[in-house]
Amino acid sequence: MRGCRYLLLCVLVGVLALGWCQGELNKDLVNKKIERKVDITSQVVKIATKITLENSGAAPVKSFLVALTPEEKEKLSSIIVQSGGSVLKIRETKVDEQPDVAFYKVDLREPLNPSKTVNVDVEYILTHILEPYPASIQQGEKQLVKYSGNHYVLSPYPTTTQTTTVAVPSPNIESYSRLKPTAHTDTSITYGPYESVAAFSEDAMSIHYENNSPFLTVTRLERMIEVSHWGNIAVEETIDVLHNGASLKGPFSRYDYQREHNSYSSIKSFKTIIPASAKDVYYRDEIGNISTSHMRIQDDAVELDLRPRFPLFGGWKTHYKIGYNVPSYEYLYSSGDEYLLKLRIIDHVFDDMTIDELLLTIILPEGVRNIKLETPYPVERLADTLHYTYLDTVGRPVVSLTKKNMVEAHIQDLSLHYRFPSLLMLQEPLLVVLAFFLLFLMVILYVRLDLTLSKDEATESKMRVSSHCEQVHTHHEKRARLYEKLEEEIHKLKSSKDVAQSQTTTKKIQASIKDETQFINDLVGKIRADSTDYADKVAELQKVDKALRECVVQQLTNVEKLVSGKMSKQQYMDTDNPLHRKKEEALERIKSLLSAI
Amino acid sequence: MCVCVCVCVFDDRAWYPLGRIIGGTIYPGLMVTSAAIYHILNWLHISIDVRNVCVFLAPLFSSFTTIVTYHLAKELKSPGAGLVAAVMIAIVPGYISRSVAGSYDNEGIAIFCMLLTYYMWIKAVKTGTLFWSTMAALAYFYMVSSWGGYVFLINIIPLHVLTLMITGRFSHRVYVAYSSLYVIGTILSMQISFVGFQPVSTSEHMGAFGVFGLCQIHAFVDYVRSHLNKNQFDTLFRAVISTIAAAGVLTLAVLAALGKIAPWTGRFYSLLDPSYAKNNIPIIASVSEHQPTAWSSFYFDLQMLTFMFPVGLYFCFSNLTDENIFIILYGVLSIYFAGVMGVMVRLMLVLAPVMCILSGIAVSSLLSTYMKQIDDVKVEKKKQRFEGNYFMRSEIATLFVCVMSVFLVMYTLHCTWVTSEAYSSPSIVLSARGHDGSRIIFDDFREAYYWLRHNTPEDAKVMSWWDYGYQITAMANRTILVDNNTWNNTHISRVGQAMASSEDKAYQIMRELDVDYVLVIFGGLTGYSSDDINKFLWMVRIGGSTDKGTHIKEHDYYTPAGEFRVDKEGSPTLLNCLIFGQVYTEGGKPPGYDRVRNVEIGNKDFELDVLEEAYTTEHWIVRIYKVKDLPNRGA
Repeated sequence: MRGCRYLLLCVLVGVLALGWCQGELNKDLVNKKIERKVDITSQVVKIATKITLENSGAAPVKSFLVALTPEEKEKLSSIIVQSGGSVLKIRETKVDEQPDVAFYKVDLREPLNPSKTVNVDVEYILTHILEPYPASIQQGEKQLVKYSGNHYVLSPYPTTTQTTTVAVPSPNIESYSRLKPTAHTDTSITYGPYESVAAFSEDAMSIHYENNSPFLTVTRLERMIEVSHWGNIAVEETIDVLHNGASLKGPFSRYDYQREHNSYSSIKSFKTIIPASAKDVYYRDEIGNISTSHMRIQDDAVELDLRPRFPLFGGWKTHYKIGYNVPSYEYLYSSGDEYLLKLRIIDHVFDDMTIDELLLTIILPEGVRNIKLETPYPVERLADTLHYTYLDTVGRPVVSLTKKNMVEAHIQDLSLHYRFPSLLMLQEPLLVVLAFFLLFLMVILYVRLDLTLSKDEATESKMRVSSHCEQVHTHHEKRARLYEKLEEEIHKLKSSKDVAQSQTTTKKIQASIKDETQFINDLVGKIRADSTDYADKVAELQKVDKALRECVVQQLTNVEKLVSGKMSKQQYMDTDNPLHRKKEEALERIKSLLSAI
Repeated sequence: MCVCVCVCVFDDRAWYPLGRIIGGTIYPGLMVTSAAIYHILNWLHISIDVRNVCVFLAPLFSSFTTIVTYHLAKELKSPGAGLVAAVMIAIVPGYISRSVAGSYDNEGIAIFCMLLTYYMWIKAVKTGTLFWSTMAALAYFYMVSSWGGYVFLINIIPLHVLTLMITGRFSHRVYVAYSSLYVIGTILSMQISFVGFQPVSTSEHMGAFGVFGLCQIHAFVDYVRSHLNKNQFDTLFRAVISTIAAAGVLTLAVLAALGKIAPWTGRFYSLLDPSYAKNNIPIIASVSEHQPTAWSSFYFDLQMLTFMFPVGLYFCFSNLTDENIFIILYGVLSIYFAGVMGVMVRLMLVLAPVMCILSGIAVSSLLSTYMKQIDDVKVEKKKQRFEGNYFMRSEIATLFVCVMSVFLVMYTLHCTWVTSEAYSSPSIVLSARGHDGSRIIFDDFREAYYWLRHNTPEDAKVMSWWDYGYQITAMANRTILVDNNTWNNTHISRVGQAMASSEDKAYQIMRELDVDYVLVIFGGLTGYSSDDINKFLWMVRIGGSTDKGTHIKEHDYYTPAGEFRVDKEGSPTLLNCLIFGQVYTEGGKPPGYDRVRNVEIGNKDFELDVLEEAYTTEHWIVRIYKVKDLPNRGA
C-alpha cells in the first residue's frame, strides 16, 4: 500500500514535470490528403510533405503533431512547418503511447473548426542518411548509395490518401523496394497513391542507386568575426572538409585520373559564396597560400571557386582557411551608445552543404557591455571569454556559440545587442600618443642628464675648440665673399672709370672686412684658452689674410690711379703682376690653413 | 635557461627509429631568438603569429647587419666608409640570398653575430677595456649559439693577435682584449651542448688556445725585459724558449696518441684540402653548397666588389693600424677559402661582408680624395683666372667621380636584378612560362606534403631522400627517416641502399626500417632537373659507403661505356632498382619520355609488387608510394 502510494507520487511528479511539453494525440484529426516529395539527388535528403488536415471532431483544434522515426530524428538537421505562406511555431514534445517516435507540436495560426480543413507544408532536411554501398570503391568505379525510409508518411493521424515521389539523380538504379502501386521514370520513383492508411503505419523503403554528387562534409567550421568600430568587420573561417562518400580502395593512379577522366565521385573543386562587399579575400592553410582558386565578383555576391591542393576522393580530407573583410555599416546599426550587430551565423560553403559542428566566435571591441544575443534557432552559447590583441589593456569580450548538424537552411542572421560608450573609441589612439610621449620624454631626460662621475676636461675643451673653429670658418667664408665683391668692384671700375662712385662702395666693403677680421681676432683669444695650437693657426690665418688684404687694397689704388690717369698702362702692368702673384700665394696658404683648422 | 630547455627536447618524429636529441644536434641561437621575439611581442599584446616572426627574422637581422657594418667600417676608417659599406651590404646578392623573407636559416642571424663580434673586438683592441672585451665575448657566445661557422671566428681573432705580435704591435690593450675574450668566450661557448667540450679538445680550437698561451708569455717576457739588461735577457730568453718548445711538442704528441685531442674532423680537412671530402665523405660532397665556387659566381654575387676589394686592401695597407690589420687578414683569408681554394659556396656568406667593408673603404677614400678637387662653378671661374696651370684638375676629378657613380649605379642595378631573378622565388613553388607566355605554377611539393598531412595515419613513417626531410617534417607533420640535419651517416646510407637496391632487397630494408610511405621526386614530365634520378648517383655512393651497403657498387649503375643513362642502353641494375620503378611507373605508359634527360626511358613496363601508388601530384613532380603489408600466408 505504501509502495503503491510512493509510485503514484512519482508518476504525479513526472507528469507535472513533463506536463507543459506533453503532447496529446487528438483522435479527431484526419489527414485528408498527403503529398510527399523526397529529394535524394544530393548528399542531403530533403523531404517536403504537403498535408491537408481535417477536423472530424466537435471541438476546435489549436495544434497538431508531426511525427518522425527515431532514425530520422537522429539525422534531422532542420524542420520548418508552414501554412499559407507563414511559418508556424513548433516545439519538440513526447507522447506516452508512442515512446519511440519523436513528435513536434505545431501551433496553428487559427483554431481549426469542426469539419474544416487546413493545408500545412512540413519540410525537413536529413543529413548523413544516405549510406555508401559498397562502402569502398576503386578509383574508376561509380558511387552507389542506399536510402532507407518509410513507404508511408509517419503520422499520428489516419490518412485518407497519400502519395510519395522520390527524386533520384540518374536512371541508374540498382534496386528499389516495391509496395504497389509504384512507378519509375528516369528521374523519379512514385509510391502510391495508398488509400486509408492507419496512424503510425510503417513499411521499410529502400532505394539503392548511383549518386555521384559531391559527398562533402564540413566536419568542423570555426568562424571568427572580429568587429571594429573603425568601420571594418573581419571574418575568418577555418574549415575541415571530409569526403564521406564511398572511400577509395586500392591505389590512386594519377595517370588514370588525368587521361581517363573516370573518377566520378572525386571532388576537384567547389564554389563558396561570400557577401558582395567582401574585400581582401584570402584562401590558405597551415603551409601558406593555396594558389588554385578563382574569384568572381557578381552583383549580389562574391563567388569563390576553391580548388583544394589535391582532389578529394572518398575518405580523404583537407583543411583550409578563408578570410575577408566587410564594411561594418552594412551589419552594424547604432542608436546612441546602443549597437546592434546583425549578420549571418554561417555562410554558404558549398551547395547542399552539411556542417557537423560549428563554433562561432564574435570578438567585440574593448569596453563593450550588456551583451544580448538573439538567434533564429536554438544554439548552445558558451561562456564569454576575453581576447587580447593590438593595443588592448583589459581585453576584448568574445561571444562564442556552437551548434551541431547544420545545412543551408541555417544560413540566417543573428542579432547581437550591446552597449559601447563612443568615448572609448579614443582609448587606443590616446594609448599610442601616451606611449610615444613617454618615449620622447625618456629620450629628452636621457640626453639632458649627465650621469658621469667625473668631468672629462679634455673632450670638453676639444668640443669647445671645434665649435670655435667652426665659427672661424663661417666668418672667414663671409670675408672671402667680401673679397670677391671687392674684386668685382675693381673690375667694374676698370670699365666704368667712375672713381667717386667706386670709392663709396669699396669703403663700405673694406669696413665689413674689417668687422669680420675683428670677429675672428676675438675668437683667437677664446681658442687660446683651450688650445694654443689651434689659436696659433688661426692667428697665422689672420696674418696671411692681412697680407692678402694689403695686396687687394694696393690693386685697388693702382686701378684708381690708372683710371684717373696718374699712372701709365705700362706702370700699372709692372706693379700689378707681382701683386697678383702674391695674392695667389696668399690664397693658397689660406686654403691649406683652413683645412688644418 | 634556453640551453637546458633544448637539451631536454627529444624529437621522435625524425630519424626514425633512432630519434634525435635536439639540443645536442643543433645550434639553438636561431630558435631561441625567434621564440624570444615572439614571446615579447605577444606579451605586449602584439598578436603576431610565430610563423611570421620566423619569416621576417632574416630581413630583420640583415637590417641589423647593415647597422653593424656601418659601425665596423666607421671604426676601421671613417663614417663615410661606414655609410658606403652599409649601403653595399644592404643589397649585396651574396648576402641577400640568405636574408630574404622566409629564409629561416642559421646563417641569417649568424652573419649579424659575426660582424657584431668583429665590431666589439675592434672596439676592445682600440680601447683595451674589459667592458668591450666582455661585450665581444658575449657577441661571440651568440655567434657560437647560432652557427657552426664560429670556428672561422675563433681562428681569425687569434690570428689577428698573432700578427700583431709578429709585427711588434702587441700591447696591453691587445692583451686585455684577447685574454678576456678567450676566457669568457670559451666558457660561454661550452654551454652550448652541441659544442660541448670541443673548444678544449678539437684541433680547430687549438690555435686560439695556443695564442692565448703566447699572449701570456709575451706579456711576461715584456715584464721581465723591463727589469733586466739586454745581455741577461737574451741568455734567459734562449734557454726558456728551447725548453718550452720541446715540452709543448711532446705534450701534443702524447695527447694526440691518447686520443684526448680529437683527430682533425672531416669538415675541417675539406676546408684545407678540397679533395678530401670528395674522396672520403660522400655526404659532404653531395651538398651543392659544398661544391667549389665557380669564378663566375663571384661576379654574380659581388659584382664591382670583386675589383674594389684590392683597392680597399691598398688603402688599409697605406694607413696600417691594429684594426686595419684585422680587416686585411679577414679579407685575405676569406677570399682564400672561398675562392683560391675553391671550397664552399657557403663561404660566400662570410666573404660578402668583408668585401663590402673593404669596398666601402675604397670607394669612400677614392671619392673623398677626388671630391676635394671639384670646386663649385663660381669659384672655379676665379681659379681659372688665378691658376692656369691646374686647368685639368677639376675636370679629371669630375670625370672620375662620374665614373664612380656609374659603377655604383651599375652595382645597384645588378643587385636588384640578381635578387629578383635568382633569390626571390621560393624553391618550393616552381614556375614556368607556358606556350602563350602565361605563368604556370608548379605547387606540387606543397600539394604532396599537404596530402600526407591530412590523408595518412598520424604515426606514418615516410622515407625519402634527406633533402626533403625538413620539408616533410614541417609541412606534412609526419615521421621521417632522414633529414637535412645529416648527423647520422649510416642511417642516410641505409636509405640510399633501399633506393638503389632491387625491389626485393629494398622491401627487406623498408620492413626493417618500418616504412609506411616512400616519397620520390620525378621531374621527367615538367623538366624539373633536380629530381631523384639526378641525385641518384649520390644515393648510390652514400649507400655504398657503409658496411651494410657493400652490395651496392657505383660502377654497376653505369653503362659499359661509363655513362649514366636511363634509356634502353642503361645498365640493367639501374633499370631494375627501386627508385627507377617508383619514378617511372605509369610514367612509362606511352610515350614514356623523360624531358629532363631527353630520352625515352629504358624499362617501360615496370610493375611494382610491394608498393602501390598512394598519391602523385598534378605535374607528377612528387610521387608517394605506400608500402604494402606482408601478404597473408597462402594468399
